[in-house]
Amino acid sequence: MRCGGRAARPAWTGCWWGEDVVKPAPFRYLRPTSLDEALDALATLGDEAKPIAGGQSLVPMLNFRLARPGVLIDLGRIPALTGVHRTDGSLRIGAMTRQRVLELDQDIADRLPVLRAALRHVGHVQIRTRGTIGGSLAHADAAAELPALALALDATVEVASVAGTRTVAAADLFLGPWTTCLAPDELLTRVDVPLAWQRAAIVELARRHGDFALAGVVGARRPATTDDAGIRLVGFGVGWTPVRLTEAEAALAAGGSAEVVADAAAAGIDPIDDIHADAAWRRDGLRALVTRIADQLGVAA
Amino acid sequence: MSGGAATAGLVADPRPRREDPRLLTGQGSYVADVRLPGMLEAAFVRSPLAHARIRAVDTDAARAAPGVIAVLTGADLSDVEPFPDLRERTRPVRQRALCIDRVRYVGAPLAVVVAEDRYLAEDAAELVDADLEELPVVADMDAALAPGAPLLYDDWPDDRIVATAPVDPELDAIFETHQVVRGTYRMQRHTAMPMETRGVVATVERGRLLVWTSTQVPHVVRTVIARTLGLPEHRIRVVAGDVGGGFGSKLHVYPEEVVIPALAWRLRRPVRWIEDRREHFLASSHARHQRHDLEAAVDERGDIVAVRGDLVCDVGSGEILPPGVAPAFVSAGSITGPYRFPRSQARLTCVVTNKTPSGAYRGFGTPEIVFALERLLERVARETGQDPVELRRRHLIRPEDLPYETPNGRRIDSGSHLEAFERAVAWAETTRERLAPTARGSIGVGYANYIEGVSPNYHATSGLWAQQETSTLRIEPDGTVVVASGLGPMGQGTETMLATLASQLLGVPHDQVEVRLGDTDLSPYGLGSFGSRSTVVAAGAVQLAAGRLLDKVRTIAGHLLEASATDIELVDGRARVVGSPDRSVGLAEVAHLAYFRTFDLPPGTEPGLEATGAYEQPGVDHRPNAQGKLNICLTYANSTHACVVDVDRATGVVRLLAHLAVHDAGLLLNPQVVDGQIMGGVAQGIGGALYEQLLHDADGQPLVTSFMDYLVPGAPEVPELTIDHLSTPSTTTPFGLKGAGEAGATGVPAAIANAVCDALRDTGIDITQTPITPSSIRAALRATPDPTTTEGS
Repeated sequence: MRCGGRAARPAWTGCWWGEDVVKPAPFRYLRPTSLDEALDALATLGDEAKPIAGGQSLVPMLNFRLARPGVLIDLGRIPALTGVHRTDGSLRIGAMTRQRVLELDQDIADRLPVLRAALRHVGHVQIRTRGTIGGSLAHADAAAELPALALALDATVEVASVAGTRTVAAADLFLGPWTTCLAPDELLTRVDVPLAWQRAAIVELARRHGDFALAGVVGARRPATTDDAGIRLVGFGVGWTPVRLTEAEAALAAGGSAEVVADAAAAGIDPIDDIHADAAWRRDGLRALVTRIADQLGVAA
Repeated sequence: MSGGAATAGLVADPRPRREDPRLLTGQGSYVADVRLPGMLEAAFVRSPLAHARIRAVDTDAARAAPGVIAVLTGADLSDVEPFPDLRERTRPVRQRALCIDRVRYVGAPLAVVVAEDRYLAEDAAELVDADLEELPVVADMDAALAPGAPLLYDDWPDDRIVATAPVDPELDAIFETHQVVRGTYRMQRHTAMPMETRGVVATVERGRLLVWTSTQVPHVVRTVIARTLGLPEHRIRVVAGDVGGGFGSKLHVYPEEVVIPALAWRLRRPVRWIEDRREHFLASSHARHQRHDLEAAVDERGDIVAVRGDLVCDVGSGEILPPGVAPAFVSAGSITGPYRFPRSQARLTCVVTNKTPSGAYRGFGTPEIVFALERLLERVARETGQDPVELRRRHLIRPEDLPYETPNGRRIDSGSHLEAFERAVAWAETTRERLAPTARGSIGVGYANYIEGVSPNYHATSGLWAQQETSTLRIEPDGTVVVASGLGPMGQGTETMLATLASQLLGVPHDQVEVRLGDTDLSPYGLGSFGSRSTVVAAGAVQLAAGRLLDKVRTIAGHLLEASATDIELVDGRARVVGSPDRSVGLAEVAHLAYFRTFDLPPGTEPGLEATGAYEQPGVDHRPNAQGKLNICLTYANSTHACVVDVDRATGVVRLLAHLAVHDAGLLLNPQVVDGQIMGGVAQGIGGALYEQLLHDADGQPLVTSFMDYLVPGAPEVPELTIDHLSTPSTTTPFGLKGAGEAGATGVPAAIANAVCDALRDTGIDITQTPITPSSIRAALRATPDPTTTEGS
């Protein structure tokens, strides 16, 4: 099969559509079969390497030649990165678990229905079939559902490198648009989602079904403790990262009216202008969504 | 035409499309499916700047790159003639296949790299170093119209490629003495996004140039290649194969369709170029970017006695063949729509700007003016205290008005303008009631009435094509039939249509007819598919050819059956004596005589069974008369669209609940095919109304170059769609046929805008611009304080 004319060209990049014109800049391609092998490669190559999970964002950027890694490390053949470990208190989801697998998992649907609800907003079936949960978190798109969900549910991620592993709270993971706190030699290997939430819901507005959100909100609620009212509201698509709407959470916890909560939410963001929605709209959209989600959480009128 | 039951008329034949099994099971053959031994791949180096002088293009590094066979710049192709500037009263752009001294839009082709594969060609293309001297950018129509605007063409006095200045003192007097209602309406730049992008493969075979290209106009491409490369036409063969959508964008002839053949000719090797989607955004025609200042003069009874408009079209750089001004002329000529406004005037200015050239897109100037006019009618109704439905009803063309000539010379021979509207009103009222309980926000209903020109004399607007179409019919020795045509189908069922025509007009079974299309070696010279013309002109041509061929079949069959030729009819593939159906011969027996037992032919009968018919449509003007009137089309289909929308005031999100297209295309040869045309058109109309826009920044840099940002509606965005066919035959076309290719798209933006404003009628919001987005609705609502919006949804 003629897929690019150079041996270093990975077979699959040119062959998804037959032998056709998918055309990234040259790169080397590694496909480790163990986590250690992948981490070793990352440690050796550093900035030059880019891990690829489901490729649903990276491959278009490669083909536009906007991303030009020297080496692509395909995580698709590392068994340890796939699968869901279930405990009473949490779900531990391997980073390479496909979104579609999670969406169709009945146990997850029973224990954490908001995850299935969120996944239904992620692109289309074809995209979710390749896309992975870890890929979405590491990509850190501010308008994506899964980072917002991780933040709202107090999820943590496990991050590995040759130096060892560390645990990072979702609240510390997202630094900016498409930017996480991961070092170039680190790999996001697992997501741990606590199951303490009594209720959780996601709402979003997109231009079309399956598009990234123009504005979205994840809300979650669990029993209050002395230092935590147990309410989470996270906006996405309305800033440079998913945003905890802490003032709106407080207003909600204090029994504020939907309007007060919505106003607090809108005041708590610094929305962006883009060609799909202006900043003023994003405040309006968030206000409407927070009103809806407060309703769904059953904590406001 | 001589007698015979089978040729008396046509009947509807709602059979499934014969091309579908092939297209739906992956057996279609597109340009990218063409694989030739030793084939090279090309990649284009395109301008990163919107406006610049080319100082030099250094190709040394690219030439030295691995696998590179050739790198050519505009200077290297200076012996290739410019594209012809054919339209009168339009400033010449002298378009070059590769730019030589100037680039006028981001994406303009600067150089081409040919390599062993596309990867290597792309790698090398990055090494081409173009030394560009930036020039001031003309970013939009206002900048182009401003005094002292930078010039795109140094020998022009300004950036106006076309400017008309009609003078009518009587009309001016009417506007001085009547109430005048005004509005300014804008439609955004958007365009066709066929699933198959463009692509060209060229090779030299036995001394001839063989070119595959994804086009609606294979013969015209051949002519342009011949003129630009200086080759005789008979040494060029253009093959279109299956075309995965065109919608007007592929009726243009593009630089790549000249450059790739030029490369194959020089290198004597097959060369292939497949447009990628980003290139399609940059280098295939854009469309619809217009602004209309419209005015209506209203008398004391509330009747509109005149409309006039000042229309401006931003045609981008203008470097496109046929010229991008053509749709704007259709906008100007359609200013009265299907309404009986006694007088009209349209002033048209087309300006060049530093953006991708614009051109044809389904509807061809009509969606723009329908949006403007239908919004103006709403404003007239409001400002004069009338019911907009009643206002439309009173002005629509009535049956007793037909044939009706519009003030600018369109001769509307037939139609059901008022009836279509009444049906839409009845539907809308019941549908609104039915759907009201499901509404989450505010429900509204909107209408759009329009006519769609069918089968244009394109010479008037493009200077290039007139209106002929030719078909050849041949009966083979075994009695099977071949019909060949120069139409350029792009998925709209043309094969089925031609087989149906040949089958019914000859009197042979449908499955005995084979169709040859899209190959200049196999088809007679034709002008291709555009302007909702294919069925109408094909019927004219096949009718002529079938008449000639039948005459011969009758002569031979009469000879075999010992009957008079005039007593022979052809039914279901057998020639029989009228009134004595048991006296018959099969077509194969007739053909056997015509080809093999020629010595048995009646004296004076030439061997063979083949006839060609060339149809030239009557009564269509190719230039305006002394009064400026122009009947540009053979007939005019009519349509009314209505839609019901649900607007969430808190978010500005518009949900389309139901859409109706009442459509009158005369006799429907295949109602299923017409339904498909309308459904696809409505989806594209929704795209233009709500989603799709090609935006640029102040430097002329495109902001939308992928499907991440260019939002084509998918199935979830298309609502419940009802199609209601009326069938008023044309009096000017063969068999009363009319076209249906474009009409689906045309009324949608106007109908949706009217429905959204109806839903928000208590706020008085007046939409004057597409696309209608959540942001634009919220911005309008924020500017219009309204007590019902404060609670959210």
